[in-house]
Amino acid sequence: MRRTLFVLIAALVVSVMLIGCAAQPTAAPAPTVAPQAARAIKVGIVDTYSGPPAAYGNDALNGFKLALAEINKEGVLGAKIEFVTRDDKFAPDTGLSMAKELVLQEKVDILAGTVNSAASLAISAYALENKVPFIVWTAKSDKVTGEKGHRYAFMTSENAVMAGFAGAQALAKKPYTKFWIAGEDYEYGHSIADATWNSLKKIKPEVQLMGQTWWKTGEPDLVPYLTQVSSAKPDMVIFATGGSGMTNVLKVAKSTGFSDKIPMWIHTAIDYGVLKPLGANGPEGVFGTMDYFFYYPDTPANKAFVKAYQDAYNNAYPSFASFHAYTTAKLIAAAYKKAGALDKEKFIDAMEGLQIDTPVGQVEMRACDHQLVLPIFFGVTKKEAQNEFLTATDIIAVAGKDVMPACADIQKLRGK
Amino acid sequence: MEFLQQITFDAFLSQLLVGLSRAMILFIVSAGLSFILGVLRVPNVAHGSLYMIGAFAAYSITNAFGSNPAGFWVALVVAPLIVALVGLVFERVLLSHLYQREHLMLILFTFATMLILNDLVKMVWGAEYRSVNAPAVLAGSVDVFGVSVPRYNAFLLVIGPLVALGMWLFTAKTKIGKIARAAAVDREMVGVLGINVSWIFAIAFMIGCVLAGLGGALVAPTLSLTLGMDHTIIIEAFLIVTIGGLGNIWGALIGALLFGVTQSLGLLVLPQFAVVFPYAAVVIVLLLRPTGLLKSVW
Amino acid sequence: MFTDIIETRWLVVALGVLASLLGAPFIAPEFYTYVLTLIFVTAILAMSLNLVLGYGGIYQFHHAAFYGVGAYAAALGITKMGMPVWLAFILAPLIAAFAGLVIGWFCIRLTRLYFGMLQISLGSLIWVIVLRWSAFTSGDDGIHGIPLPAPLETINGAYFLNLAIALGCLVAMYFVIRSPFGATLQAIRDNAARCEAVGINVRNHQLAAIVIAAFFGGIAGVMFVVLERSVFPGMLFWSFSLDVFVMCLLGGWFTFAGPMVGAALVILLRTFASRYTEYWTLLLGVILILLIFFLPEGIMGFVSARFKPREPDGGAA
Repeated sequence: MRRTLFVLIAALVVSVMLIGCAAQPTAAPAPTVAPQAARAIKVGIVDTYSGPPAAYGNDALNGFKLALAEINKEGVLGAKIEFVTRDDKFAPDTGLSMAKELVLQEKVDILAGTVNSAASLAISAYALENKVPFIVWTAKSDKVTGEKGHRYAFMTSENAVMAGFAGAQALAKKPYTKFWIAGEDYEYGHSIADATWNSLKKIKPEVQLMGQTWWKTGEPDLVPYLTQVSSAKPDMVIFATGGSGMTNVLKVAKSTGFSDKIPMWIHTAIDYGVLKPLGANGPEGVFGTMDYFFYYPDTPANKAFVKAYQDAYNNAYPSFASFHAYTTAKLIAAAYKKAGALDKEKFIDAMEGLQIDTPVGQVEMRACDHQLVLPIFFGVTKKEAQNEFLTATDIIAVAGKDVMPACADIQKLRGK
Repeated sequence: MEFLQQITFDAFLSQLLVGLSRAMILFIVSAGLSFILGVLRVPNVAHGSLYMIGAFAAYSITNAFGSNPAGFWVALVVAPLIVALVGLVFERVLLSHLYQREHLMLILFTFATMLILNDLVKMVWGAEYRSVNAPAVLAGSVDVFGVSVPRYNAFLLVIGPLVALGMWLFTAKTKIGKIARAAAVDREMVGVLGINVSWIFAIAFMIGCVLAGLGGALVAPTLSLTLGMDHTIIIEAFLIVTIGGLGNIWGALIGALLFGVTQSLGLLVLPQFAVVFPYAAVVIVLLLRPTGLLKSVW
Repeated sequence: MFTDIIETRWLVVALGVLASLLGAPFIAPEFYTYVLTLIFVTAILAMSLNLVLGYGGIYQFHHAAFYGVGAYAAALGITKMGMPVWLAFILAPLIAAFAGLVIGWFCIRLTRLYFGMLQISLGSLIWVIVLRWSAFTSGDDGIHGIPLPAPLETINGAYFLNLAIALGCLVAMYFVIRSPFGATLQAIRDNAARCEAVGINVRNHQLAAIVIAAFFGGIAGVMFVVLERSVFPGMLFWSFSLDVFVMCLLGGWFTFAGPMVGAALVILLRTFASRYTEYWTLLLGVILILLIFFLPEGIMGFVSARFKPREPDGGAA
């Protein structure tokens, strides 16, 4: 009994080894690429489709699909652009796992997606190692194209630093000097607060910071925090929150009467996705910045995009996530056309400095840091009679080039 | 300690009142969890999901009423009942067969339920953020002892004690309540007396669900409803129930007050470390009193 | 001679599995090698938890804290303190074990749910530190692209190193369980009062078990760093502990191999079922409920009951 057993095991081991040796030379065939793509271009999307921020993931996917429908009518390099999606459940380790699967198993040409900043950074590190282009379209971490940026990482969303610069420029023109910073205690919150404050201090040196309040992400009840800020009586409050925390702040600001007493600015406060859940009960007079509205700019290009989106998706309005993903798809198509070949390195070279027309006008993929240069709009919330939700009014467009950190600063940041 | 100098009496009082009102929601949810723990001996990890269902149900109900402010009041009554119904089905079909199992198995089982309920909520209500508006009567703020407190929080300060009173009347004065308390101490004995323990358990579980649903409906106007809201509450509820003494609803009240108040007052002293307070409070309490502040039925 | 401590039947299975694991990376596509490695990491994590949970009967509710401490210690040692990789890898589990000692020392005087909740609170304090001390730990961004020696940066390199570590851990854990210490631990689980009466220091034994489990949990953390070269604060968040806990119960917490099977099942579900449905957690929930009703001893509990052990195993119920 025992002898047959050992013979069996030995046979197994030997055969496994033999197969292993036989398989080894062909284990890693170099992927050869035909100069003219006979095959489809494959984009692997890792994004959040379950958990709190799932709405962003779904909006982005819709925007991306809409663009592909337009692009694939004529095709790119004689082929279509296809995509596969994976749900990261807003967990960075799952996101990283999924990205690996898309690269190793699905053999995608490009990675894109992610709401989650930590997932973006993790996937970005993996993309660099494996030389796969990765385009971040919803997360706002400035590290993606800043400190942790590299040849293979791109970003088509506005990042926290750009938003902070845009906010600071507009705030400096207001007559406030005593500020308070309040926000969600995570990287995005801190980086947007730092960017805004440092930039504001530079433009208007007399401003002073009275104090700061930070709460944990997902904090259910913000009333104690706002009560604290309110009793300190600052001239203005800079809020640094995102996601569902945004809606929370606006809601509490309205219900406690905070927004009537103290002026406040929050990046994305004037976003449709943030204001819509509040319906007609959102707080008026809140300053905000945003890089996309379905109603602004009131140009034929934007109208056409909104109409196509509404026709495709049950009259839903496109959100900023839809716009970013739509723009990303258009950039990918344009870059492949410019590159003339289905090659990752040529694709990256083509992306650098690429300019395309989008619903908000012409945008450029900046060559030095791979950050999309796009305008940011400053406005204030208002209830218009014809709408069931608040919209932004008195919109001032801040040009993309004015909110970007200098290329030299980026180099310094990366060199560190 | 620059912050200490900024603390005025008014700021202290308003933080205290707001902290107390937050404690009321925590109390209502934890009391439900604690009641189920006490009577059924089930550490119900899915309690947070029931709370989430309560909140989303409140959203649907107020939405159905449009701009009519009655919607909110109807939601306060109907949403907990919907949750109770979900709870009843769940208890009769599944949970009632498992009361003899080890606690760890019950944790695993209710965790599995939580996974399922979460996905069901997503199927029914979708992934978007939802928001419930409080009726105009409860908007704005009101003066309490000279400090301005948001009306809705003042409303919570009234509701909380009412719920506590209701729970006291139920457990001390009604027959079912007395049997439930007795069953918590010795369920075999109650069974021997010829009482149908199985239905007492079903009713006790429903009461826990009503409290979870009520907590959800009450919290709905103060935040945006998201799929992750069950996660935040469940850990807090478990910590509160633990420091109060497992299964003791008055312990849940004390635990909730401790939680709500230390967190909001902690903000005045050390705003950067507000996140730490609940956990630190639990550590301190449990090191001093290893089975919670009040007598546990466990 | 091996048959004295392990049944021939299981030896055959183990050797067969080992042989196929050694050959796997040469045959399987790279991605499957990666998934296998991820299973090794998670399996060691789940098994380390089961040392205290299944064999000690201790409500270790925040085991992920030790996993996270191990991973962060390795990651920070390499990236922030410039330690040689091997030194960081050796120190990390020791630091995790130390965390186990400190947290365990506080918790051990409490029982059951109270123990678990205190551990969640203490573990969460570590989580808060990782989250708040951004300058050192990179906060919720996590640390990515941790540099390792070139051979380890390939998937096959990570695979073979993790396989070796996992095997070493398995053998070590097996001997811990089979040692007199392990026997005492199980006796305490079954009847603590009686053990106390015969003069066994119950608390010290339990504390030692927690420290050992934390040590192996820390090793799992190091294995994660080897594989992903990233660390995230979510690794030491309480909800992840619950996931690991589920793996143990799913696979069968009274069996040696159970947690491994549970870990493999959860990873495979996450990787493959999520491709077809965004509701894969619902699927996991349904599987768990079916299991509780029909296979209450977990998958391996069921398997080992079908193939009755020759001698009553200390761990079998």
